[in-house]
Amino acid sequence: MADGGNNITLTIDGREITVPKGTTVLEAAKKMGIEIPTFCWHPKLKPVGACRICYVEIEKMPKLQVSCATECMPGMVVHTDTEKVKQGRKAILEFILINHPLDCPTCDKGGECDLQDNTFAHGIDDSRFDFNKYRFIKDRKSTFDDVRLGPEIIRNQNRCILCYKCVRANKEIFGEYDLGVFQRGNLTEIDAAPGQQVDSLYSGNLPEICPVGALTNTDWRYKVRVWKAQQVKSICGYCADGCNLTLWKRRDKIFRSSSRRNDEIDEGWICDIGRYGYQIANAENRLTTPLIKKGNKQVTSTWDEAIGLIARKFKEIKDKKGGVCIGGMISPTLDLASLYAFSKYFRTVLHSNNVDFRNDYKMLAEKYGDTFGKMASLEFKIADIEKSDLILVIGSNLIKEHPIVNLRVRKTVTKFGASLYTLNPFATKSGDISTDEIIFNAGTLEALINGICVSLISQKLNASDVDVSNFGSMANPNTVSSASKITGISEERINALAMALGKAKNITLIVGEYIKASPLRELLSIALNNLTIIAGINKKGQIGFLYKSANSKGAEKLGVIPYPSPNLIGKMKEIWKYYPDSNGLAADRMIRAAKKEEMDAMFVIGANPIWAYPDGQFAKDGIEKLDFLVVADLFESETTEKADVVLPLSSWAEYAGDFINLEGRLQHFSAAIKPQNGSLPAFDIIGRITVEMDKPIFESVEQLNNEIKLLLAVLPEKAAQSLKLGEVKYSEEKISPDFSIPLFVTDDLHHYGHHTKEAKSLAAFGSEPYAEISPAMAEKLQLENTEMLRIESEVGKIILPVRISEILDNNVVVISRNFATTPVNILQMRKKRIDRVKLSKVED
Amino acid sequence: MILTPESVAKIKEKMGKYPHHKSAILPAITIAYWQVGHLNEEIYKEISKIINIPIVEIAEAATFYTMFPKEPVGKYLIQVCHNISCALLGADSLIEYLENKLGIKKGETTSDNLFTLISVECLGSCASAPMMQINDKYYENLTREKVDKILEDMKKQA
Ligand code: SF4
Ligand code: SF4
Ligand code: FES
Ligand code: FES
Repeated sequence: MADGGNNITLTIDGREITVPKGTTVLEAAKKMGIEIPTFCWHPKLKPVGACRICYVEIEKMPKLQVSCATECMPGMVVHTDTEKVKQGRKAILEFILINHPLDCPTCDKGGECDLQDNTFAHGIDDSRFDFNKYRFIKDRKSTFDDVRLGPEIIRNQNRCILCYKCVRANKEIFGEYDLGVFQRGNLTEIDAAPGQQVDSLYSGNLPEICPVGALTNTDWRYKVRVWKAQQVKSICGYCADGCNLTLWKRRDKIFRSSSRRNDEIDEGWICDIGRYGYQIANAENRLTTPLIKKGNKQVTSTWDEAIGLIARKFKEIKDKKGGVCIGGMISPTLDLASLYAFSKYFRTVLHSNNVDFRNDYKMLAEKYGDTFGKMASLEFKIADIEKSDLILVIGSNLIKEHPIVNLRVRKTVTKFGASLYTLNPFATKSGDISTDEIIFNAGTLEALINGICVSLISQKLNASDVDVSNFGSMANPNTVSSASKITGISEERINALAMALGKAKNITLIVGEYIKASPLRELLSIALNNLTIIAGINKKGQIGFLYKSANSKGAEKLGVIPYPSPNLIGKMKEIWKYYPDSNGLAADRMIRAAKKEEMDAMFVIGANPIWAYPDGQFAKDGIEKLDFLVVADLFESETTEKADVVLPLSSWAEYAGDFINLEGRLQHFSAAIKPQNGSLPAFDIIGRITVEMDKPIFESVEQLNNEIKLLLAVLPEKAAQSLKLGEVKYSEEKISPDFSIPLFVTDDLHHYGHHTKEAKSLAAFGSEPYAEISPAMAEKLQLENTEMLRIESEVGKIILPVRISEILDNNVVVISRNFATTPVNILQMRKKRIDRVKLSKVED
Repeated sequence: MILTPESVAKIKEKMGKYPHHKSAILPAITIAYWQVGHLNEEIYKEISKIINIPIVEIAEAATFYTMFPKEPVGKYLIQVCHNISCALLGADSLIEYLENKLGIKKGETTSDNLFTLISVECLGSCASAPMMQINDKYYENLTREKVDKILEDMKKQA
């Protein structure tokens, strides 16, 4: 019976259970281990009661009830296994199968199909229906009805049981409107929206949740029977969200990746990059053998020769000029063991602190202890976003940077009613659910934040224990009206946001790439620190300066930067009995040193600075000046081209290891396949070099892992946030009237870094570069979609086809960097806070 | 634009009546249908812009309702219910009768552009099956004689 109003006791199959109010009969039965068949029910979707297979008998109710959509009531007596229930299930299955083709032998879902399983368990083996089955393609006897809904989805309507899970998830969870249910009755069809394709970043989830083979992913269609595959527990190796994956393999080839639901992180959804990104492992043009430059040409070589040469050269340079003349850049998509081995190798063998995992940020800090670093080490939990009644996203194109955090934000807003405020220099996809989507003039963020702070103070909404009396003299602008003038955001909107922040009970602050990539990141971090103190976000909610890549957080925690925390250095010294006392150089300083011929050699693993560094000319000039460059990567790249030694590197699917996601969560992944094409994992490459140099740094991966454990333990989980307000003075940027349009370089929606273009399925979503502009801008330049746009900055010029965005609505240009033919970073300059360009139409 | 300023104004007026724009989908579709006589993708797109609801939701609603033809139809759109109650009471032979009488197949329009014949799902008038809807009006408890008369009257009116 009801106790205190919030719990309900009922009886299911003769046993009592107490559940929270609002629990459905199905959920209660599940808790008791009672299995009820379902089709349209999904743990993360609102119930609709469409398929009716989940029938149960409830005493005092005359008819069978659908357990998925019936709430538990006090005293209810439920039976899940009576004759009547069994009859009901049989009838429903007979009904569902009326038009179903039963083409299981050629259906990819076979072996993991709910319709097969439920019919097997509860159905009958015959049907009373003796008419011709309705066929969506009537002129053929076969069940063939392949309609491509998107680049990677095929629909077979004959198999569809109209559970609507695909359409519901698409709208409810992903906020996408490219798929719908059309017509009615037996003509009902699942199809792409008029004039559209199903090609959102989450599209690959739709076949995964389809209970039958009506929707199939084309990447593994007709390739393997699922029961003949081996499933391997993995973690996504792309962004920092850390989705849990299952990789499916057969005969040392991966053919599929699916979600391995983890409710604390991904809730069973993954983005298409995680779904199809495994294809880089078995891609055709992997590097297959070490290459050594002889004369002007890279010629094939052997691991022994290459390792021998590297060991000799690095030793020579170190002995003659010192380890400080060698620099190391490593990709934060590598595992902990590799990152750690890299740092240990540089520090203990080469005696150099020049190690960095960040090769695409402008003007990195040169010492430990900056505000940015402190903010970035604060604790953040994806699941805790749900506790917030206000979410503030600053400087982040959330869907691109953190697809799964984006879903959690959407859920918190659309399901739990939180308000969302986004502050960006251009419109993003989050706009549709934002309470206010604030698009400020590029390069004025600190003025906007100051404005919000002053507004909080003047509305007396600031945290009570903070002394704000001096804030006026520390801030410029220090009035809402001047902040409004600078940023282009009205005073009302600034005040409304401040009021919302002041009134909110729990706030999640998410800070993205535009702050991290900015040469003014320290100033912006101080401004944001002020905001978190004045609005009390540090005490009511969480602050997420979210790291970008699968293991960026791990790299930070292991100190794969030139200036780790003193605690960390202390621990390294203790483990290694050594720590170099030279000053280390951050990635961009290394390039500068190379340019000035103060650096002789560089060891780059998995990274591609010539392509990634936001000043292409600078990166190229620097790297070309090196005497000796070693690059390990999966594919040829802009940087491997310049290398004296190129080493084939394994992808994360080819070895076991650990990543630390943006929450600081350590997650282990298993090896799905053996290292492909003669490649080696990074830790192995490093190990071999150290052995060759007679300075082995580890005997086994276990040893590395033990040392890693020691290092991870020293880091205080909660780094102390500075609770002092800092000075934030905005100074106006000089903008040349010729080059006035802000340029933003990002990853394409379906790409991540420089590898994914080699994944066929991801390339199917887009493989050609383009420049995105707003409709108004297109009109001004008299450009139609796909016409050519000339983009010029003070230092470079490129020409790209234009894409008129449905989202952008101000004067900016956004360019994806993922495609080989776009050296978009040649437009960028490392000291410029905002890269600016001029645009013109290319007349043919 | 296919929709006239008057239609747009009517749609906007309807929008104001509902707390959520989504509720304005059906009124908007109906207004468009009154103006044009049928619906199509271009019209969905226009409605989607006016009421600020994704086009997919407009198309879903529009295709669900068979009384909105999706291409030009004759002056009289005959929609015969073929669902269970009507089927039991002879909907199939009624459709056949109509096909023969009008000299067209289901889905077609007579050459004088007067009649279009389609069959549809349940129209909620099962108690008076078999039945059909012609434009906005229901004709129930049909017999061949009744059908003859209805068609005669319409021809006269036209
Ligand atoms: S396509 Fe699959 S998920 Fe979508 S309604 Fe049909 S059976 Fe359900
Ligand atoms: S890229 Fe990020 S969001 Fe996408 S599957 Fe991988 S971890 Fe998840
Ligand atoms: S699972 Fe309950 S009605 Fe479909
Ligand atoms: S079955 Fe014909 S109106 Fe319902």
